[in-house]
Amino acid sequence: MKIAITLKVNGKDYPLEVKPNEILLNVLRDRLGLMGTKYGCGIGECGACTVLLEGRAILSCQTLAFTADGKRITTIEGLEKNGSLDPLQQAFIDEGAVQCGYCTPGMILSAKALLDVKPDPTNEEIKQAIRGNLCRCTGYTNIVRAIRTASVAIKDQGRKTK
Amino acid sequence: MSSTRVISLDFECSTPRSLDEALEALNEEGAQVLAGGTDLINNIKTNAVEPRRLVYILGIADLDYVTVQGNSLSIGAGARLGDIEHHRQVVSRFPALCEAIDVIGGTQIRNMATLAGNICNASPGADTPPILLVLDAEVEICGANDASPAQRNRLPLGGFFSGPKKTVLKQGQMVASMTLPLPPEHSGAAFRRLARVSLDIAKINCAAYIEREGDRIRLARIALGSVAPTPVRAPTIESALEGQKCSERLLRQASELVAEDIAPIDDVRSTAAYRRQIASLLVREALQEAWKRSRGKK
Repeated sequence: MKIAITLKVNGKDYPLEVKPNEILLNVLRDRLGLMGTKYGCGIGECGACTVLLEGRAILSCQTLAFTADGKRITTIEGLEKNGSLDPLQQAFIDEGAVQCGYCTPGMILSAKALLDVKPDPTNEEIKQAIRGNLCRCTGYTNIVRAIRTASVAIKDQGRKTK
Repeated sequence: MSSTRVISLDFECSTPRSLDEALEALNEEGAQVLAGGTDLINNIKTNAVEPRRLVYILGIADLDYVTVQGNSLSIGAGARLGDIEHHRQVVSRFPALCEAIDVIGGTQIRNMATLAGNICNASPGADTPPILLVLDAEVEICGANDASPAQRNRLPLGGFFSGPKKTVLKQGQMVASMTLPLPPEHSGAAFRRLARVSLDIAKINCAAYIEREGDRIRLARIALGSVAPTPVRAPTIESALEGQKCSERLLRQASELVAEDIAPIDDVRSTAAYRRQIASLLVREALQEAWKRSRGKK
Protein backbone atom coordinates (compact mmCIF):
# COMPACT_ATOMS: atom_id res chain seq x y z
CA MET A 1 0.00 0.00 0.00
CA LYS A 2 1.25 3.48 -0.94
CA ILE A 3 -0.38 6.75 -0.04
CA ALA A 4 -0.02 10.03 -1.90
CA ILE A 5 0.68 12.82 0.56
CA THR A 6 2.04 16.35 0.52
CA LEU A 7 4.53 17.37 3.16
CA LYS A 8 4.72 21.15 3.58
CA VAL A 9 8.23 21.52 4.88
CA ASN A 10 9.76 24.93 5.55
CA GLY A 11 7.26 26.63 3.26
CA LYS A 12 7.77 24.24 0.34
CA ASP A 13 5.35 21.54 -0.85
CA TYR A 14 6.74 18.04 -1.38
CA PRO A 15 4.28 15.66 -3.06
CA LEU A 16 5.33 12.13 -2.10
CA GLU A 17 4.18 8.54 -2.11
CA VAL A 18 4.82 6.88 1.22
CA LYS A 19 4.19 3.48 2.72
CA PRO A 20 2.11 3.46 5.93
CA ASN A 21 5.13 2.35 7.97
CA GLU A 22 7.45 5.16 6.87
CA ILE A 23 8.56 7.38 9.73
CA LEU A 24 8.55 11.14 9.26
CA LEU A 25 12.15 11.48 10.48
CA ASN A 26 13.39 9.10 7.79
CA VAL A 27 11.35 10.77 5.06
CA LEU A 28 12.79 14.17 6.01
CA ARG A 29 16.35 12.86 6.07
CA ASP A 30 16.52 10.12 3.47
CA ARG A 31 14.00 11.30 0.90
CA LEU A 32 14.05 15.09 1.24
CA GLY A 33 17.74 15.31 2.16
CA LEU A 34 17.04 17.47 5.21
CA MET A 35 19.76 16.09 7.45
CA GLY A 36 19.39 18.69 10.21
CA THR A 37 16.82 16.60 12.05
CA LYS A 38 18.65 13.93 14.03
CA TYR A 39 18.00 10.32 14.88
CA GLY A 40 18.85 9.84 18.54
CA CYS A 41 17.14 7.20 20.63
CA GLY A 42 14.28 6.36 18.29
CA ILE A 43 11.93 5.80 21.22
CA GLY A 44 10.83 9.29 22.12
CA GLU A 45 13.15 9.92 25.03
CA CYS A 46 15.86 12.28 23.74
CA GLY A 47 14.23 14.97 21.55
CA ALA A 48 16.96 14.99 18.88
CA CYS A 49 14.32 14.37 16.19
CA THR A 50 12.12 17.32 17.26
CA VAL A 51 10.43 19.27 14.46
CA LEU A 52 7.54 21.73 14.53
CA LEU A 53 4.20 20.46 13.27
CA GLU A 54 1.74 23.32 12.85
CA GLY A 55 4.06 25.32 15.11
CA ARG A 56 4.22 22.81 17.95
CA ALA A 57 7.20 20.71 18.92
CA ILE A 58 6.71 17.01 18.15
CA LEU A 59 8.93 13.95 17.78
CA SER A 60 9.48 12.97 14.16
CA CYS A 61 10.79 9.51 15.15
CA GLN A 62 7.39 8.70 16.68
CA THR A 63 5.37 10.09 13.77
CA LEU A 64 4.28 8.11 10.74
CA ALA A 65 4.76 10.26 7.64
CA PHE A 66 1.21 9.73 6.37
CA THR A 67 -0.22 11.39 9.50
CA ALA A 68 1.64 14.62 8.63
CA ASP A 69 -0.11 14.92 5.25
CA GLY A 70 -0.92 18.57 4.52
CA LYS A 71 0.46 19.83 7.82
CA ARG A 72 2.98 22.65 8.14
CA ILE A 73 6.37 21.26 9.19
CA THR A 74 9.39 23.32 10.25
CA THR A 75 12.83 21.75 10.51
CA ILE A 76 16.05 23.44 11.60
CA GLU A 77 16.79 24.20 7.93
CA GLY A 78 13.69 26.40 7.84
CA LEU A 79 14.76 28.88 10.50
CA GLU A 80 17.31 30.84 8.48
CA LYS A 81 15.65 33.70 6.59
CA ASN A 82 17.33 35.36 3.55
CA GLY A 83 20.79 34.29 4.62
CA SER A 84 20.47 35.42 8.24
CA LEU A 85 20.26 33.03 11.13
CA ASP A 86 17.25 32.98 13.41
CA PRO A 87 17.97 34.87 16.68
CA LEU A 88 17.92 31.49 18.44
CA GLN A 89 20.60 30.05 16.15
CA GLN A 90 22.74 33.16 16.60
CA ALA A 91 22.30 33.10 20.39
CA PHE A 92 23.32 29.42 20.57
CA ILE A 93 26.57 30.34 18.79
CA ASP A 94 27.20 33.49 20.83
CA GLU A 95 26.53 31.85 24.19
CA GLY A 96 28.57 28.71 23.47
CA ALA A 97 25.43 26.58 23.70
CA VAL A 98 26.68 24.16 21.03
CA GLN A 99 29.38 21.61 21.68
CA CYS A 100 28.91 18.40 19.69
CA GLY A 101 25.78 19.87 18.14
CA TYR A 102 23.72 16.69 17.98
CA CYS A 103 20.95 17.88 20.28
CA THR A 104 21.04 21.44 18.93
CA PRO A 105 18.43 21.28 16.12
CA GLY A 106 15.85 19.70 18.43
CA MET A 107 16.79 22.00 21.27
CA ILE A 108 16.42 25.11 19.10
CA LEU A 109 13.07 23.98 17.69
CA SER A 110 11.68 23.30 21.17
CA ALA A 111 12.86 26.78 22.16
CA LYS A 112 11.33 28.26 19.01
CA ALA A 113 7.93 26.72 19.79
CA LEU A 114 8.17 28.28 23.26
CA LEU A 115 9.23 31.77 22.16
CA ASP A 116 6.55 31.85 19.44
CA VAL A 117 3.82 31.64 22.08
CA LYS A 118 5.72 33.09 25.05
CA PRO A 119 8.25 35.72 23.91
CA ASP A 120 9.43 36.49 27.44
CA PRO A 121 9.59 33.18 29.34
CA THR A 122 10.95 32.67 32.84
CA ASN A 123 13.97 30.40 33.28
CA GLU A 124 11.61 27.80 34.74
CA GLU A 125 9.42 27.95 31.62
CA ILE A 126 12.51 27.58 29.42
CA LYS A 127 13.60 24.51 31.39
CA GLN A 128 10.13 23.00 31.15
CA ALA A 129 10.02 23.62 27.39
CA ILE A 130 13.30 21.75 26.82
CA ARG A 131 12.60 19.01 29.37
CA GLY A 132 12.16 16.56 26.49
CA ASN A 133 15.50 17.44 24.87
CA LEU A 134 18.53 15.70 26.30
CA CYS A 135 22.01 17.21 26.00
CA ARG A 136 24.95 15.05 27.03
CA CYS A 137 27.90 17.38 26.50
CA THR A 138 27.25 21.12 26.28
CA GLY A 139 25.37 21.34 29.57
CA TYR A 140 22.05 23.02 30.05
CA THR A 141 23.29 26.28 31.63
CA ASN A 142 24.54 27.77 28.37
CA ILE A 143 21.51 26.47 26.51
CA VAL A 144 19.06 28.14 28.88
CA ARG A 145 21.13 31.34 28.70
CA ALA A 146 21.11 31.23 24.89
CA ILE A 147 17.33 30.93 24.82
CA ARG A 148 17.07 33.89 27.20
CA THR A 149 19.48 35.90 25.00
CA ALA A 150 17.40 35.06 21.94
CA SER A 151 14.20 36.19 23.63
CA VAL A 152 15.82 39.57 24.37
CA ALA A 153 17.17 39.80 20.80
CA ILE A 154 13.73 39.08 19.36
CA LYS A 155 12.20 41.81 21.54
CA ASP A 156 14.88 44.29 20.46
CA GLN A 157 14.33 43.36 16.83
CA GLY A 158 10.61 43.96 17.26
CA ARG A 159 11.30 47.43 18.70
CA LYS A 160 13.57 48.39 15.81
CA THR A 161 11.09 47.36 13.14
CA LYS A 162 8.24 49.27 14.83
CA MET B 1 13.89 -7.60 13.22
CA SER B 2 13.57 -4.93 15.87
CA SER B 3 14.92 -1.45 15.17
CA THR B 4 14.17 1.93 16.67
CA ARG B 5 14.97 3.76 13.41
CA VAL B 6 12.81 2.01 10.84
CA ILE B 7 9.65 -0.06 11.04
CA SER B 8 10.07 -3.29 9.11
CA LEU B 9 6.52 -4.51 9.69
CA ASP B 10 4.20 -3.83 6.76
CA PHE B 11 0.69 -2.69 7.53
CA GLU B 12 -2.14 -0.81 5.90
CA CYS B 13 -3.59 2.45 7.14
CA SER B 14 -6.90 4.30 7.17
CA THR B 15 -7.46 8.01 7.60
CA PRO B 16 -11.14 8.26 8.58
CA ARG B 17 -12.81 11.67 8.78
CA SER B 18 -15.67 10.54 11.01
CA LEU B 19 -16.22 8.19 13.92
CA ASP B 20 -18.41 5.95 11.73
CA GLU B 21 -15.64 5.60 9.17
CA ALA B 22 -13.16 4.81 11.93
CA LEU B 23 -15.42 2.11 13.41
CA GLU B 24 -15.89 0.52 10.02
CA ALA B 25 -12.14 0.32 9.50
CA LEU B 26 -11.64 -1.06 13.02
CA ASN B 27 -13.90 -4.02 12.32
CA GLU B 28 -11.18 -5.61 10.24
CA GLU B 29 -9.17 -8.30 12.06
CA GLY B 30 -5.83 -6.86 13.21
CA ALA B 31 -6.93 -3.24 12.86
CA GLN B 32 -5.84 -0.96 15.67
CA VAL B 33 -6.36 2.69 16.59
CA LEU B 34 -3.43 5.07 16.06
CA ALA B 35 -3.71 8.38 17.92
CA GLY B 36 -0.59 10.23 19.12
CA GLY B 37 1.51 7.11 18.58
CA THR B 38 3.87 7.78 21.48
CA ASP B 39 3.31 4.31 22.90
CA LEU B 40 2.10 2.45 19.82
CA ILE B 41 4.99 3.36 17.49
CA ASN B 42 7.52 2.10 20.04
CA ASN B 43 5.49 -1.06 20.52
CA ILE B 44 5.55 -1.64 16.77
CA LYS B 45 9.28 -0.84 16.54
CA THR B 46 10.02 -3.40 19.26
CA ASN B 47 7.61 -5.99 17.78
CA ALA B 48 5.46 -5.92 20.91
CA VAL B 49 2.41 -5.50 18.68
CA GLU B 50 1.92 -6.36 15.03
CA PRO B 51 -1.12 -4.55 13.67
CA ARG B 52 -2.35 -5.28 10.15
CA ARG B 53 -3.99 -1.87 9.83
CA LEU B 54 -3.62 1.39 11.70
CA VAL B 55 -6.72 3.55 11.89
CA TYR B 56 -5.49 7.11 12.42
CA ILE B 57 -8.12 8.94 14.44
CA LEU B 58 -6.51 12.37 14.90
CA GLY B 59 -7.88 13.48 11.53
CA ILE B 60 -11.41 13.24 12.95
CA ALA B 61 -12.31 16.80 13.91
CA ASP B 62 -15.34 15.61 15.92
CA LEU B 63 -13.12 13.77 18.40
CA ASP B 64 -10.79 16.69 19.12
CA TYR B 65 -12.47 18.63 21.93
CA VAL B 66 -12.28 19.57 25.59
CA THR B 67 -15.53 21.04 26.79
CA VAL B 68 -17.60 21.71 29.89
CA GLN B 69 -21.26 20.89 29.33
CA GLY B 70 -23.71 21.12 32.18
CA ASN B 71 -22.12 19.47 35.19
CA SER B 72 -19.36 17.61 33.46
CA LEU B 73 -16.11 17.93 31.59
CA SER B 74 -15.93 15.98 28.33
CA ILE B 75 -12.65 15.13 26.68
CA GLY B 76 -12.70 13.71 23.16
CA ALA B 77 -10.45 10.81 22.22
CA GLY B 78 -8.50 13.14 19.92
CA ALA B 79 -7.63 15.73 22.58
CA ARG B 80 -3.87 15.94 23.18
CA LEU B 81 -2.54 15.99 26.73
CA GLY B 82 -1.07 19.46 26.13
CA ASP B 83 -4.45 20.85 25.05
CA ILE B 84 -6.18 19.42 28.11
CA GLU B 85 -3.50 20.60 30.52
CA HIS B 86 -3.72 24.20 29.27
CA HIS B 87 -7.49 24.36 28.83
CA ARG B 88 -8.78 27.22 30.97
CA GLN B 89 -11.64 25.32 32.59
CA VAL B 90 -9.47 22.28 33.27
CA VAL B 91 -6.83 24.47 34.90
CA SER B 92 -9.40 26.12 37.17
CA ARG B 93 -11.66 23.14 37.97
CA PHE B 94 -9.24 20.18 37.78
CA PRO B 95 -5.81 21.40 38.93
CA ALA B 96 -4.78 17.91 40.08
CA LEU B 97 -5.52 16.49 36.62
CA CYS B 98 -3.23 19.16 35.13
CA GLU B 99 -0.52 18.20 37.61
CA ALA B 100 -0.78 14.54 36.65
CA ILE B 101 -0.60 15.38 32.94
CA ASP B 102 2.30 17.79 33.38
CA VAL B 103 4.66 15.06 34.62
CA ILE B 104 4.16 12.96 31.49
CA GLY B 105 7.15 13.01 29.15
CA GLY B 106 8.44 16.22 27.63
CA THR B 107 6.53 18.94 25.80
CA GLN B 108 6.72 17.00 22.53
CA ILE B 109 5.09 13.91 24.03
CA ARG B 110 2.25 15.99 25.50
CA ASN B 111 1.75 17.73 22.15
CA MET B 112 1.27 14.33 20.52
CA ALA B 113 -0.20 11.94 23.07
CA THR B 114 -3.90 11.79 23.95
CA LEU B 115 -5.57 11.15 27.30
CA ALA B 116 -7.62 8.35 25.73
CA GLY B 117 -4.37 6.80 24.52
CA ASN B 118 -2.86 6.94 28.01
CA ILE B 119 -5.87 5.00 29.30
CA CYS B 120 -6.07 2.53 26.41
CA ASN B 121 -2.36 1.74 26.70
CA ALA B 122 -3.34 0.52 30.19
CA SER B 123 0.08 0.67 31.75
CA PRO B 124 -0.26 -0.14 35.47
CA GLY B 125 2.07 2.81 36.16
CA ALA B 126 0.46 5.40 33.85
CA ASP B 127 0.12 8.81 35.46
CA THR B 128 -3.44 9.79 34.54
CA PRO B 129 -5.52 6.76 35.68
CA PRO B 130 -5.22 7.38 39.47
CA ILE B 131 -6.47 10.95 39.25
CA LEU B 132 -9.15 10.01 36.70
CA LEU B 133 -10.30 7.20 39.01
CA VAL B 134 -10.68 9.47 42.03
CA LEU B 135 -12.43 12.10 39.92
CA ASP B 136 -14.99 9.43 38.98
CA ALA B 137 -14.23 9.44 35.26
CA GLU B 138 -16.37 7.50 32.82
CA VAL B 139 -15.16 6.12 29.52
CA GLU B 140 -17.39 6.24 26.47
CA ILE B 141 -16.88 3.17 24.32
CA CYS B 142 -18.32 2.67 20.86
CA GLY B 143 -18.16 0.11 18.08
CA ALA B 144 -18.46 -3.65 17.61
CA ASN B 145 -22.23 -3.56 17.66
CA ASP B 146 -23.39 -4.58 14.20
CA ALA B 147 -26.96 -3.42 14.76
CA SER B 148 -25.96 0.14 15.62
CA PRO B 149 -22.26 0.70 15.07
CA ALA B 150 -22.22 4.20 16.53
CA GLN B 151 -23.98 3.22 19.75
CA ARG B 152 -22.00 4.47 22.72
CA ASN B 153 -21.75 2.83 26.10
CA ARG B 154 -20.46 4.50 29.21
CA LEU B 155 -18.34 2.59 31.67
CA PRO B 156 -16.78 3.78 34.94
CA LEU B 157 -13.00 3.88 34.44
CA GLY B 158 -12.59 1.39 37.31
CA GLY B 159 -14.14 -1.31 35.11
CA PHE B 160 -12.05 -0.48 32.05
CA PHE B 161 -8.70 -2.01 32.98
CA SER B 162 -8.50 -5.81 32.92
CA GLY B 163 -4.77 -6.42 33.45
CA PRO B 164 -1.32 -5.02 32.72
CA LYS B 165 -1.61 -3.41 29.28
CA LYS B 166 -5.11 -4.89 28.94
CA THR B 167 -8.53 -3.28 28.77
CA VAL B 168 -12.06 -4.52 28.19
CA LEU B 169 -12.02 -3.11 24.63
CA LYS B 170 -12.84 -5.73 22.01
CA GLN B 171 -11.80 -5.83 18.37
CA GLY B 172 -13.76 -3.12 16.59
CA GLN B 173 -14.27 -0.98 19.67
CA MET B 174 -12.64 2.29 20.58
CA VAL B 175 -12.87 4.97 23.23
CA ALA B 176 -14.73 8.01 21.90
CA SER B 177 -14.47 10.25 24.95
CA MET B 178 -14.04 10.52 28.69
CA THR B 179 -16.37 12.37 31.04
CA LEU B 180 -15.64 13.77 34.49
CA PRO B 181 -18.28 15.29 36.78
CA LEU B 182 -17.40 18.82 37.85
CA PRO B 183 -16.16 18.60 41.43
CA PRO B 184 -18.56 20.24 43.90
CA GLU B 185 -17.65 23.04 46.26
CA HIS B 186 -15.81 21.90 49.39
CA SER B 187 -13.93 19.24 47.49
CA GLY B 188 -10.26 18.90 46.70
CA ALA B 189 -7.99 16.54 44.77
CA ALA B 190 -4.26 15.96 44.63
CA PHE B 191 -1.72 13.86 42.73
CA ARG B 192 1.65 12.56 43.90
CA ARG B 193 4.31 10.47 42.17
CA LEU B 194 7.79 9.16 42.69
CA ALA B 195 10.25 8.62 39.85
CA ARG B 196 14.01 8.54 39.52
CA VAL B 197 14.25 11.54 37.20
CA SER B 198 11.44 13.70 35.89
CA LEU B 199 11.07 12.04 32.47
CA ASP B 200 10.96 8.58 34.01
CA ILE B 201 7.89 6.43 34.30
CA ALA B 202 6.66 6.45 37.91
CA LYS B 203 7.87 3.92 40.47
CA ILE B 204 4.54 4.59 42.12
CA ASN B 205 1.87 7.26 41.86
CA CYS B 206 -1.35 8.08 43.64
CA ALA B 207 -4.25 10.48 43.75
CA ALA B 208 -6.72 11.48 46.43
CA TYR B 209 -10.09 13.21 46.35
CA ILE B 210 -11.97 14.48 49.38
CA GLU B 211 -15.40 16.05 49.83
CA ARG B 212 -15.64 17.79 53.15
CA GLU B 213 -18.51 18.68 55.42
CA GLY B 214 -17.26 21.18 57.99
CA ASP B 215 -14.36 19.45 59.71
CA ARG B 216 -15.46 15.99 58.59
CA ILE B 217 -14.56 13.94 55.55
CA ARG B 218 -17.86 13.24 53.83
CA LEU B 219 -16.39 11.20 51.00
CA ALA B 220 -12.89 10.06 50.09
CA ARG B 221 -11.47 8.36 47.02
CA ILE B 222 -7.90 7.19 46.74
CA ALA B 223 -6.23 5.44 43.80
CA LEU B 224 -2.71 4.24 43.12
CA GLY B 225 -0.66 3.21 40.12
CA SER B 226 2.30 0.81 39.74
CA VAL B 227 1.25 -1.19 42.81
CA ALA B 228 -0.99 -3.82 41.20
CA PRO B 229 -1.70 -5.33 37.75
CA THR B 230 -3.99 -2.35 37.04
CA PRO B 231 -4.42 1.10 38.57
CA VAL B 232 -6.43 0.46 41.77
CA ARG B 233 -8.69 2.23 44.24
CA ALA B 234 -7.91 1.91 47.96
CA PRO B 235 -11.30 1.05 49.52
CA THR B 236 -9.87 0.17 52.93
CA ILE B 237 -8.46 3.67 53.37
CA GLU B 238 -11.58 5.23 51.91
CA SER B 239 -13.89 3.60 54.43
CA ALA B 240 -11.52 4.41 57.30
CA LEU B 241 -11.81 8.08 56.40
CA GLU B 242 -15.45 8.54 55.50
CA GLY B 243 -17.55 10.29 58.11
CA GLN B 244 -14.53 10.92 60.32
CA LYS B 245 -13.35 14.20 61.70
CA CYS B 246 -10.20 15.07 59.78
CA SER B 247 -6.92 15.26 61.67
CA GLU B 248 -3.26 14.64 60.92
CA ARG B 249 -3.52 11.51 63.02
CA LEU B 250 -6.49 10.16 61.09
CA LEU B 251 -4.80 10.77 57.73
CA ARG B 252 -1.63 9.04 58.94
CA GLN B 253 -3.42 6.04 60.40
CA ALA B 254 -5.69 5.62 57.40
CA SER B 255 -2.76 5.89 54.97
CA GLU B 256 -1.00 3.06 56.78
CA LEU B 257 -3.84 0.74 55.78
CA VAL B 258 -2.75 1.01 52.14
CA ALA B 259 -1.03 -2.40 52.28
CA GLU B 260 -4.52 -3.98 52.34
CA ASP B 261 -5.34 -2.49 48.96
CA ILE B 262 -2.17 -3.00 46.92
CA ALA B 263 -0.13 -5.91 45.58
CA PRO B 264 3.15 -4.46 44.29
CA ILE B 265 5.87 -6.46 42.57
CA ASP B 266 9.63 -6.11 41.98
CA ASP B 267 10.38 -4.75 38.51
CA VAL B 268 12.91 -2.61 36.64
CA ARG B 269 11.78 0.58 38.34
CA SER B 270 11.45 -0.41 41.97
CA THR B 271 10.87 -3.23 44.46
CA ALA B 272 7.68 -4.47 46.07
CA ALA B 273 9.07 -3.76 49.53
CA TYR B 274 9.94 -0.14 48.72
CA ARG B 275 6.61 0.44 47.02
CA ARG B 276 4.72 -0.96 50.00
CA GLN B 277 6.69 1.24 52.37
CA ILE B 278 6.49 4.45 50.38
CA ALA B 279 2.84 4.03 49.34
CA SER B 280 1.47 5.07 52.73
CA LEU B 281 3.56 8.24 52.75
CA LEU B 282 2.51 9.16 49.23
CA VAL B 283 -1.15 8.56 50.05
CA ARG B 284 -0.83 10.65 53.21
CA GLU B 285 0.67 13.57 51.28
CA ALA B 286 -2.04 13.37 48.65
CA LEU B 287 -4.75 13.28 51.33
CA GLN B 288 -3.24 16.26 53.17
CA GLU B 289 -3.16 18.27 49.95
CA ALA B 290 -6.67 17.22 48.90
CA TRP B 291 -8.01 18.20 52.33
CA LYS B 292 -6.24 21.56 52.15
CA ARG B 293 -7.70 22.22 48.72
CA SER B 294 -11.20 21.24 49.84
CA ARG B 295 -11.24 24.47 51.85
CA GLY B 296 -11.38 26.34 48.55
CA LYS B 297 -9.29 29.25 47.37
CA LYS B 298 -7.97 31.54 50.04
